[in-house]
Amino acid sequence: MYDFVRGPLVWVAFLVFICGTIYQVYRFYRLSRPKEQFRLRIPFGKPPKEPDEAPAEPELTWWEQVRLNVVGSNPIMISVTTVFHVALVITPFFILGHNVLLDLAWHASLPSLPEAVGDGLTIIVIAGGVFFLLRRIFLTRVRAISTPYDYLVLLIATAPFVTGFLAYHHLLDYDTVIVLHMLAGEIMLMAVPFTKLVHMPYFFINRFVLVHENTLGAGGSRIWR
Amino acid sequence: MSANEQAPINLDEIRQVLDQHKDKMKTALRVCAHCSLCADSCFLYHVNDKDPRYMPSHKFINSLGRLYKKKGKVDRAGFEEIKEIVWRRCVLCTRCYCPLGIDIPEMIALARDICRTQEVYFQWSELEQPAK
Repeated sequence: MYDFVRGPLVWVAFLVFICGTIYQVYRFYRLSRPKEQFRLRIPFGKPPKEPDEAPAEPELTWWEQVRLNVVGSNPIMISVTTVFHVALVITPFFILGHNVLLDLAWHASLPSLPEAVGDGLTIIVIAGGVFFLLRRIFLTRVRAISTPYDYLVLLIATAPFVTGFLAYHHLLDYDTVIVLHMLAGEIMLMAVPFTKLVHMPYFFINRFVLVHENTLGAGGSRIWR
Repeated sequence: MSANEQAPINLDEIRQVLDQHKDKMKTALRVCAHCSLCADSCFLYHVNDKDPRYMPSHKFINSLGRLYKKKGKVDRAGFEEIKEIVWRRCVLCTRCYCPLGIDIPEMIALARDICRTQEVYFQWSELEQPAK
């Protein structure tokens, strides 16, 4: 079991994750289209008028901009989810245990975080998971659209970190926990393209590719309809 | 009342619309993280005492999502419930915001399309009655 989970299943999980995510991004491009330029109709025979100088609009301070967007309306949720996701992404890449394995396998690895920092980030992810669980149970509007599927996906997302924490600290039976940790990570990778964890690429698609009032960067290039 | 209350549901007509937009519906329903961050972007949610039934995600999950998951097999009573959602609880103002990029108004519009195929829509006289 250990050899299978540590060997072929890792490759299968990454293959499914990478190919599945690429397919979901391709699917977005297939379902959307490039934005159209706004075309002005010019009256026949008359040259367009120079626009009058628009009255100066009051500029919003940075605090007013923050207060009016989703950060202002849901400050706790946005703060927690930001910290949670940053920790969730950073930890697998820069944790010492993973880099030791990479070094043993390929004689190359990424820089590693101090173990205490890695531990702290893991606890942040677990705490974030608990926050999301409590939010889903106790907040009426979230509970109204919650199904058992939501709780399952939350479990899938946090299980690698819980089992990783248990394995690192040698809590419970290490041999069992480490197999569960690897399995949990592989299940999470394979689940990304096929569950609501697909919000991983879609978050960036929404922020940088789709055209709407909250688009960042160059202003977006595609629309749904 | 809808034009033809007693007529049986025509599954073929419903499935025609579902099949035509299957990919978009599947993507939207899959990407939805059930986070409820869209709630604050709907003015109807705010003016109705923050009733969760007015959340954009709740509206599209319980209208189009229901039609999609049941493959169109919704009876007349179900269509009456969906009618209430897509015409009474949403005005397609397109103000709703989804942090994951789902086009919620399009999903509501598709649900309305499906309702129309079954002659399910409000008459003018009904709209004067208060929402349920």
